[in-house]
Amino acid sequence: MTFDAIGIAGTALTVHRKWLDAVADNLANVNNASPTSGPAFQARYVEAQAGAGTSGVYVAGIREGDATGRLVYEPDNPIADAEGYVRYPDIDMSEQMGSLIMAQRGYQANAQVVDRARTMYESALQIGRSS
Amino acid sequence: MSIPPIGAVGPVGPVLGSVTATTGSAPTGGGGFAASLAGAVDDLQQLQSTSNQLAVQAVTGSLDDIHSATIAATRAQVTLEVAAALRNKGVDAFNEIMRMQA
Repeated sequence: MTFDAIGIAGTALTVHRKWLDAVADNLANVNNASPTSGPAFQARYVEAQAGAGTSGVYVAGIREGDATGRLVYEPDNPIADAEGYVRYPDIDMSEQMGSLIMAQRGYQANAQVVDRARTMYESALQIGRSS
Repeated sequence: MSIPPIGAVGPVGPVLGSVTATTGSAPTGGGGFAASLAGAVDDLQQLQSTSNQLAVQAVTGSLDDIHSATIAATRAQVTLEVAAALRNKGVDAFNEIMRMQA
């Protein structure tokens, strides 16, 4: 069995990029008000899955959060219902910011893996080189 | 590209035993090295064409993952260095043998 460090880190980079995209989508829609008759914006969560053997990590799917959201009393809002409520998505901004940092750091760590693997392969080529 | 790990160096056997084993085996010729080098060059060509395609996609904006282009470029670079090291070793060995007749 071979361990393709560069390829494995590449799959992890893709997963973290998709996680970043999901967080960006959640933060972009965090203040969406919607009428109470319909669902609120559902937060997107990336479901990561380990690949078979040592083939890295993959995105198994995108799970969606709670459609109920939270009801906010905004009688001036044109889409408010008869009682004056609108629906906001149930997204915790601080949790999303935490996920943002984790996605960024995970991406950086795996980019470092690619770089270190390249350096290691290059040092393997220096073995036995006289000059 | 997968670069297999290099196994541990085994213990050096008795000199007499290795000499008798070498004299007992038939010469294999240079076909093995040539085939290995040709295979490595083919792999390298494949990796470089992949890298070129991804670079074109990156500059035309049709690339989702930036890292896929840079990883392909890194793989092509490492493989090129491996192929160059192989070729240098082969040329060194050839030159060494040619110096023997002098």
